[in-house]
Amino acid sequence: MSALEKFQRLGTTRSGPRRKRDNKAAYLFLLPWFAGLTVITAGPVVASFVLGFTDYNLIQAPEFNGLENVNRMLSDERLHRALGVTFLYVFVSVPLQLAAALGLAMLLDRGLRGLAFYRSAFYLPSLLGSSVAIAVLWRQIFGAEGLLNQVLDVVGITGRGWISDPDTALSTLIVLNVWTFGAPMVIFLAGLRQIPAMYYEAAAVDGANRWTQFRRITLPLLSPIIFFNLVLQIIHAFQSFTQAFVVSGGTGGPSDSTLFYTLYLYQRGFNNFDMGYASALAWLLLLIIAAFTAVNFWAAKRWVFYDD
Amino acid sequence: MHAGTTRRSVLSLAVGTAAAAALAACGDSGGDASDEISTDPVTLRFTWWGSDARHKRTQQVIDLFTKAHPNVTVKGEFKEWNGYWDSLATTVAANDAPDIIQMDELYLSSYAERGALLDLGTATKHLSTADFDAGALETGKVGGKQYAIPTGLAAYAIVANTDLLAEYKIALPDDSTWTWDDLKNLGAQVSRASGGKVHGIQSWGFDTGGVNIWARQAGATLYGDNGDVAIPPAVLAGFWQYLLDLAKQGIAPPPSVTVERAGAALDQSGSATNTAAFGTWWNTQLPSVAEASGQNLKLLRLPGEKAAAPAAYYKPSMFWSVSARSKHPAEAALLVNFLANTAEAGDILLTDRGVPANTKVRAAITPKLTAGDQAAAEYLAALKVGPPPRVTPKGASGIEAILKRHSEAVLFERQTPRQAAAAFIKELQAEIDAA
Repeated sequence: MSALEKFQRLGTTRSGPRRKRDNKAAYLFLLPWFAGLTVITAGPVVASFVLGFTDYNLIQAPEFNGLENVNRMLSDERLHRALGVTFLYVFVSVPLQLAAALGLAMLLDRGLRGLAFYRSAFYLPSLLGSSVAIAVLWRQIFGAEGLLNQVLDVVGITGRGWISDPDTALSTLIVLNVWTFGAPMVIFLAGLRQIPAMYYEAAAVDGANRWTQFRRITLPLLSPIIFFNLVLQIIHAFQSFTQAFVVSGGTGGPSDSTLFYTLYLYQRGFNNFDMGYASALAWLLLLIIAAFTAVNFWAAKRWVFYDD
Repeated sequence: MHAGTTRRSVLSLAVGTAAAAALAACGDSGGDASDEISTDPVTLRFTWWGSDARHKRTQQVIDLFTKAHPNVTVKGEFKEWNGYWDSLATTVAANDAPDIIQMDELYLSSYAERGALLDLGTATKHLSTADFDAGALETGKVGGKQYAIPTGLAAYAIVANTDLLAEYKIALPDDSTWTWDDLKNLGAQVSRASGGKVHGIQSWGFDTGGVNIWARQAGATLYGDNGDVAIPPAVLAGFWQYLLDLAKQGIAPPPSVTVERAGAALDQSGSATNTAAFGTWWNTQLPSVAEASGQNLKLLRLPGEKAAAPAAYYKPSMFWSVSARSKHPAEAALLVNFLANTAEAGDILLTDRGVPANTKVRAAITPKLTAGDQAAAEYLAALKVGPPPRVTPKGASGIEAILKRHSEAVLFERQTPRQAAAAFIKELQAEIDAA
């Protein structure tokens, strides 16, 4: 008898009232989760959708204004700038981050001593990466009188205020995101472990060099993991908020060079009494992320290789 | 993962507030500002922004008040400036606004015109305004109603470091006649004499004081009486051209230093670190800047002032206001009365919220002031001022963010002063139109 059958039996042999009581207990235990889902997640999602079609200044009751918010998006220059900044951030930082994660994972996969320590050490930044403390630290490192410039000074290079200069401010945030490669790295590491060593041995016998092995064996067999990381990190990067908020003091400055989408959304809603429009912006972000994820899945058919 | 949580919490806040707004429409305020003071237990919530020193002083005043009114409990909620406005907007939206709200000129219309503040004209039974200067009281009115009581007054000034000037053998200018060119020349002398160690002038362009005065000196105003943006583009372009010249000629620090300092705390400014000989400040900031600097600082009037038509003005440093939905408006008004009208409160608060706008309190505390506070008060008293500018219109509360952004664009030469002026006016007007 399989475990499943046993389990089903258990159900049928129970007496009626006892079963009812069990069900009640189950629902009771589910209640916190269910309350959380409806009150904290689903309710607000629905309400923000409705608010997206209103003019709502937080103080007075919202007023429906049809598609006015969508209209505004078309001519909102700061929104377009925010989209530009966010796309640039996603397209530059995600590939760099994944490359760093894969590179490190391959180094660690060669079975060096103290692996557990290195793995934790490299993983740590992704736990801390979007925290306020790290963003504050970033300010200290990349400030005009920050650590980086002090180091550069020793070598005789005059640095600049990396965070306060619109030409470099976004780059410091990209570096911050790349630095949090730990989470995808751990997943890559697990993926690499799944690739049977015999493939490499066979390839080596056939005279394939390391690069060919990487291209012909590692990449195809790892492609589902790369795909998974790519989807996850793109979604994650689109939603980045804390880093830009802390580093720019909530302004997205200097001169809007770090105006992430979510930061602009926040400014509209909470600084400009413009919560209706901010709600519409939140839904636009959802659509953008959904579109990117859909494209990702569609493209995946062409390059992701499943070994089954 | 935190970023995801943040977006979600923004969403959930959005919705919570929607539900609350719906509730607010049918909620009742529970009391009338002209009611008798209750003898039952009453809890008031009182919110303000500021420094640690202000928190301590305010708490002392609260303690005095509750000693005299033992049935009243006052819960203080204090924050720093930026978080303050985010949190006020959400608590008001959630129909959970504190009873007594420290208010700023930038936000007064945005809250008052949307019905979030109590008309204090209905609270005269408990809240007297008899000892206030009429001009000062006027600044707390929106649409003819007294929504806010000014705590104190401030005026824009140049803070000059006289120790630095003496070190480089530069004579202190006569601030009754000096021009903007004089300031530029003096600044250039300092930058030259110090070899770049000290800059002549700490750049500004991040607060409304500088741009207001620049407009008024040109015979214009930032806002027209109707609440639209009225500053001519050419005047505004001139303002930014001046700042750009300062930076390019090495009179002010390089743009990235300026931008970094503008976003940092007061004690990291050029004036406070003795790395700029001249800087613009509100006169009431003098004691804090002087304490951080440790050198001799002097308040000077701004260049370019004409005795016949002074552009300088008294800015209400901040206000007391009461939530329109307070359950205990009478008791809230009584606390505001205590804060604004009594010498006991004045003795503790001194000039922390500006030189008191209540003339009796001002007279009572003047002998007790420190040298720095006295210098600030004397500057204010001696200053020749014009009529105050129009209160910041509803929707324009974000002006300083817009100003900062365009100042940055000009300093980094991403926009010419002319382009920045046109873009600034367009954007600010759009905010006002949308509100």
